[in-house]
Amino acid sequence: MSVSGKGAARVGIGGPVGCGKTALLERMLPRFGALGVEVAVITNDLVTDEDARRLREKRLIDPARVVAVEAGACPHTVIREDPTLNMEAADALDRRFPMLDLILIESGGDNLASTFSLDLVDYWIFVIDVAGGDDIPRKRGPGVIQCDLLVINKVDLHAQVDVDLARMMAEATQVRDGRPLIGTSCRTGEGIDAVVDAIRREVLFADVLQPGAAEA
Amino acid sequence: MSDPSAEAVLGLLTSLRLGDGQFPSGAFAFSGGLETLCADGHFARGDLGAFLMGQLTGRWLPFDRAFVEAAAAAHDDADRLAELDETVDALTVGDLQRRSSQRAGRALLGVHARLGTAGAADYRTRVERDGLPGHQPIVQGAMLAASGLAISQVAACAAYGVLSSLCSAAVRLGKVSHLDAQAALVAVHPALAAALARPAPPLDEAAAFSPLTEIAMMRHDARPSRLFSN
Ligand SMILES: Nc1nc2c(ncn2[C@@H]2O[C@H](COP(=O)(O)OP(=O)(O)O)[C@@H](O)[C@H]2O)c(=O)[nH]1
Ligand SMILES: [Mg+2]
Repeated sequence: MSVSGKGAARVGIGGPVGCGKTALLERMLPRFGALGVEVAVITNDLVTDEDARRLREKRLIDPARVVAVEAGACPHTVIREDPTLNMEAADALDRRFPMLDLILIESGGDNLASTFSLDLVDYWIFVIDVAGGDDIPRKRGPGVIQCDLLVINKVDLHAQVDVDLARMMAEATQVRDGRPLIGTSCRTGEGIDAVVDAIRREVLFADVLQPGAAEA
Repeated sequence: MSDPSAEAVLGLLTSLRLGDGQFPSGAFAFSGGLETLCADGHFARGDLGAFLMGQLTGRWLPFDRAFVEAAAAAHDDADRLAELDETVDALTVGDLQRRSSQRAGRALLGVHARLGTAGAADYRTRVERDGLPGHQPIVQGAMLAASGLAISQVAACAAYGVLSSLCSAAVRLGKVSHLDAQAALVAVHPALAAALARPAPPLDEAAAFSPLTEIAMMRHDARPSRLFSN
């Protein structure tokens, strides 16, 4: 059962500008498609619908299933203090596409303090990337600490930016008291299946509802 | 003066809660044409007070107020609300302006439905099922009244919401400071209070005329990049 009481499960994807949130969506959408999971996307671009257009143009899902919500120059407000317009957009998607399993909500990109309202999402992912510096987990931002799943993206770049990836992952695990995190590269595809599986397990209960589907 | 009654204090507290920027109304995503006015060079730092005054005297007082108060009076009569809703729709000419008012109104209705405000879930069902527009002044008036405010409080609360969201948009557009915004509010409040002490215009005389912002909202739709919904 979703936070909406009925309809599709709602998953937030937050994290600083440029960490790879849209790239992660672009990697996950075909995977969900192959698994038969019905998905729609809400973007909260800072300046209108750049991300929404990117997703629609690539035809990774039906363009009608991608909706842009303006953030009024306040990307954190639209997901935290006043998620009303996002909730309304998600309700409208549920009405329009009753078969939806999952609505992915990409935040406009903000600082490490941004968290998602519990009225808006059932589960949320915070994305950071190795190129942003290996000290990010140590800064203990609420986003990094409180999210249900931390994704450390751009692992392919760790050598170029002198980041000790193993240590960064270990520190992140430590500040999160052992709660889940996954290293990904949207360039090579590394770790993407693990993120998709986490969403299917934690939000869609795929292992319970579709026994055997985990091997699919 | 005698001590205020608990009932009066509760009314004040309800007004403060519903008029607070913390109330999740979705209003922060709307600039009411201000973003385009700024981009077109029609708005400078010192203009906020005059801009607010223009929005009040050109639009809110002669138009929105009449519907806000009528909806407040009819808050438990969904058929009458539907009629008022369709009238606002017919009288709102600009396409983006009409869509924005619907979007803000429906979002507000969704919040009140989740909060369990009387009549909200029913009217929301009608908006979805019968394709009613769900315009902002109608939803605002009905929901403020259903939350327990008297008509005069409904009008003050709704007007304050408009002013406060325009101020907040101006601050976020980087055009005015937070103190400029307070000064502008202080400057326009006496005129607003005086106007609210007189009756609202009758519904069949309700009309708005604020050409510069109306044109700005029409032009807003065509902007390639924008922060606000209108
Ligand atoms: N090398 C590398 N680049 C990436 C990766 N993920 C995203 N990028 C690049 O990082 C930039 C920002 O990505 P984007 O998805 O737009 O970030 P968003 O602002 O978080 O949505 C783009 O140029 C992407 O191609 C990755 O895993 N590795
Ligand atoms: Mg993006």
